[in-house]
Amino acid sequence: PAGGVSLRLCSTRATLEGINKPVIDRVIRVDHAGEYGANRIYAGQMAVLGRSSVGPIIQQMWNQEKDHLKKFNELMVAYRVRPTVLLPFWNVAGFVLGAGSALLGKKGAMACTVAVEESISDHYNSQIRTLMEEDPEKYKELLQIIKQFRDDEREHHDIGLEHDAEAAPAYSVLKTVIQLGCKAAIFLSERI
Amino acid sequence: VRCQLSPPQRPLQASAVLRRVSDEQKKEPLASSSQQQFDSHPTDHQREQEPQGPRPSYTGQGGQESEDYESEEQLQHRILTAALEFVPEHGWTAEAIAEGAKTLGLSVAAAGMFHSDGSELILHFVSQCNTKLSELLEQEQKLVQLGEAEKKPTDQFLRDAVEARLRMLIPYIEKWPQALSILLLPHNIPSSLNLLTSMIDDIWHYAGDQSTDFNWYTRRAVLTGIYNTTELVMMQDSSPDFEETWRFLENRVADAMNMGNTANQVQSTGEAVVQGLMGAAVTVSN
Repeated sequence: PAGGVSLRLCSTRATLEGINKPVIDRVIRVDHAGEYGANRIYAGQMAVLGRSSVGPIIQQMWNQEKDHLKKFNELMVAYRVRPTVLLPFWNVAGFVLGAGSALLGKKGAMACTVAVEESISDHYNSQIRTLMEEDPEKYKELLQIIKQFRDDEREHHDIGLEHDAEAAPAYSVLKTVIQLGCKAAIFLSERI
Repeated sequence: VRCQLSPPQRPLQASAVLRRVSDEQKKEPLASSSQQQFDSHPTDHQREQEPQGPRPSYTGQGGQESEDYESEEQLQHRILTAALEFVPEHGWTAEAIAEGAKTLGLSVAAAGMFHSDGSELILHFVSQCNTKLSELLEQEQKLVQLGEAEKKPTDQFLRDAVEARLRMLIPYIEKWPQALSILLLPHNIPSSLNLLTSMIDDIWHYAGDQSTDFNWYTRRAVLTGIYNTTELVMMQDSSPDFEETWRFLENRVADAMNMGNTANQVQSTGEAVVQGLMGAAVTVSN
């Protein structure tokens, strides 16, 4: 309930005094949804390619996403942010995207990873800009977390490239479509 | 931090200007301006900060300047609080507000600041009750943290919280059905829904809810249903001290707890069945 900002801030929550609740709400909600989706994407990829040669590398990236999600779960409770209603949808859509891209082969899975991780890094970068413009001191902890995660996602992106993502079938089409989907997901999760 | 105030761009209402000026002076964290840039849903904020016409906003309790100067919104809150005393007699009407204004030494014309259907009075009351509930729950939580009280099991916590909140209606119970119907008027729905959802969220927060998945919604929806139905039962209840209502509440909360357990059981059964089928499939394929 976005309108309840001042009312809720006036209830006694020392940790939340002085923050720009609507902005932080959105940031945490969309990031939580993003990490949740990323988890499901890797889960889908592992379901298909788990026993292949790229299995271990995908598992490793998945483990990092699990850690990210855990962190956002904590932040969500600490800042009393509502999760996006679309979570069940991202649950399925993420898995389908992961499994679908993996069915295109190892390179297809890597291409999906490159596309998604690039979108997420850009998204984290713009959040970092937003928070820096707001108040770098007040949001120091959050900024640190997002910067760290952005670096992790960048690393995943590079790993994808190293594993011949660009040689995937219809790479540029695949990449564009997936990135459009990510943009839509970010837009929706921020708001609903 | 770059200055984000841009008063000329926003339609100025008296109280909003007053509040923003003192906000700027005190660098109050609730300043509207910093939210303006990033919130692409400014409507809710504008409702808080810029009441249409002279009407106050209830989804906000800002404007708590400690300077000698009282903002229009603070004055309105004082009048409405004073008016509550007259509600049992006059209902949620302009008469009650006029009487309230009189006790503060103001002219009865002050009631003209408000809508004639008593909306602001009711919303003010609801907002006040919610704040009282939050404070109560916060204090209870402190006692538990200090070890001076036992942590209640969830069902009892919910029951006690809902009961405490509904008991605040008792002095106004005769006129409450009228208030409920006014709260359901289309122009009041956004505010009343906001107040309801904030209250339910507060109760779950203090109950220790830490869900970050769809359960967040399920729990709040269930509790909202329990609250609303219990409120309606209370309107019809003539038993001493509303015993029937509290019993109804207890049963509904118990149902909700069972629903949670049943959902878990269904899931476990489902998983067991799937495993059984997989085992059968493997056996058959061999």
